[in-house]
Amino acid sequence: MIPTNPLHSQRGASAVQVSLGMAVIAALFAFPQFVESPYVLHMMILFFLSTLMGQSWNIIGGYTGQYSVGHAAYFGTGAYSTMILLTTKEIAPWYGMWVGIAASVVLALIIGSICFRLRGPYFVLASIAVAEIVRGTALNLTDLTKGAEGILLTDMPAFKIGQTVITDFSSKVPYYYIALVLALMIIAVTWLVQNSKLGYYFQAIREDQDAAHSLGINLTFWKNSALVISAAFTSLAGSFYAIFVKFIDPSTVLPLDLSVQIVLISIIGGIGTIFGPVIGSLVLVPLSEALRSNAIAQGLINSGLVSEESGIGIFLKEHLAHAHVLIYGILVVVVILFMPDGVLGYFRKMTAKKKRGEA
Amino acid sequence: MAILEIKHVSKFFGGLAANSDVSFEMSEGMIMGLIGPNGAGKTTLFNCITGYYPPSKGEVIFDGRRMNGLQPDAVCKLGMARTWQKVRPLAKMTVVDNVMVGALCRTNSLKKARELAMEQVRVVRLDHRADFLAGGLPIGERKKLEVARVLATQPKLLLLDEVMGGLNPAESEEIIRLILDIRKLGITQMVIEHDMKAIMRISDRIVVLNSGEKLAEGEPQEIVSNPDVIAAYLGSE
Repeated sequence: MIPTNPLHSQRGASAVQVSLGMAVIAALFAFPQFVESPYVLHMMILFFLSTLMGQSWNIIGGYTGQYSVGHAAYFGTGAYSTMILLTTKEIAPWYGMWVGIAASVVLALIIGSICFRLRGPYFVLASIAVAEIVRGTALNLTDLTKGAEGILLTDMPAFKIGQTVITDFSSKVPYYYIALVLALMIIAVTWLVQNSKLGYYFQAIREDQDAAHSLGINLTFWKNSALVISAAFTSLAGSFYAIFVKFIDPSTVLPLDLSVQIVLISIIGGIGTIFGPVIGSLVLVPLSEALRSNAIAQGLINSGLVSEESGIGIFLKEHLAHAHVLIYGILVVVVILFMPDGVLGYFRKMTAKKKRGEA
Repeated sequence: MAILEIKHVSKFFGGLAANSDVSFEMSEGMIMGLIGPNGAGKTTLFNCITGYYPPSKGEVIFDGRRMNGLQPDAVCKLGMARTWQKVRPLAKMTVVDNVMVGALCRTNSLKKARELAMEQVRVVRLDHRADFLAGGLPIGERKKLEVARVLATQPKLLLLDEVMGGLNPAESEEIIRLILDIRKLGITQMVIEHDMKAIMRISDRIVVLNSGEKLAEGEPQEIVSNPDVIAAYLGSE
């Protein structure tokens, strides 16, 4: 049996799907009216931010098949541009972010023109190298970036229209709405890409570069287009992160770690699909939070599986929180072995199987 | 007027001459057969013509325009398209999406591209497979998909690299019919093929390559009786 396209049936979304989507969006907008817990809002913001980062990468990595493992460079560029303009020139972040986007686009074109000569693993290595150069630059350009000391934001300006203060950013709620809008925006952008010439050309390049080239596709131009779109939104994520966390340094907004995490969001969820990065974020954000807050070790102890006084209990309590890289690694291995199309692809396959079984 | 002129084309890889001093012309609407033993430089010549390699020496003139130095995508946009000896389906896209990628060379509208693509899918008789993933097709249908995809770029000149390779006789017969149908559309074709019977049937003229050089050129009847060609294929006494 030749497989049909699993994506094909959802090309025209059904009325049920559309109304379900609208309901979810409405619920997300109403959410802060009912939930006041800053902790829950914080988690939701991280989820939206992760979706934004993962989906941005998905455009170059998932659709175009160019596995950039250097996206921290764009994230950091966005974060630093916004933060430097805000703290030294008092330029509000909603203007500063455009400078970040412009800087990231220029950076993307430079990186693209160098790295897109390479294919496959060589491109991956080059993208890592360039991101590390950017990190090294930020670390040593102390006059501008304050180097390893980092930049702390003490005064967040209020957002005004005319003389009316819309928000002074004193709670998590304005950040929640900004992050939500950004996440919805990147999903919409991905949808537009998928349903246009860009989507076809990007996927053709992913599937076979030589065939794409022979069908009239200018590889350099289209790969750079994908990278520019991807970099612009990753930069936006960086700008948002900077004003949300209010502190940046090279080891939080420019490390290789971050580049890898951005890739994982898509790979775990399912690359080259609109909802893959959303699913990936649903898996990764709670997981990283559980590791950070030591909830997993505590849970194991509370459930009575591991005694708190035993050697294992003490070991887990002390070290599990620092083992997030190890846990991510295991997760990736599991996903690649058992769900090569990501969590989303896995569930699609399962439902397809079930349907065939019933028919 | 000649649609394609190959003038003294040579291609060297290091010291090895894959093509040396090959010249011939093609007139509009004809089918040119390109044959030769393995390693004769047929595919290299295709690559030189379509922009994958710049020729080391000589010129390729298509439709009155010098093609040297143009990239494959530019070559395609000018109306010269090629298929691959080893098929290259866009595996995770459907058959019609594959062909749409070709059609998008001439239009920016997905709707228009889909119409153009469906037309070509019908020409190669793959309509029943339109919504199947290209990666799952058997070889015979993959070859047809290759042809549909390049037809969708609306070429004036089509270069087919062993479209019958690996096919059974019935499938080969279908491809032969397809090539003759394409000729009726007014598209000029250059065909690399190992199946001698097939190439004799479809070609108006044949060029024989051997060790990178042009050994002979002429109508099929002249070629089969050419002693040099017989020697190259069967070995001389």
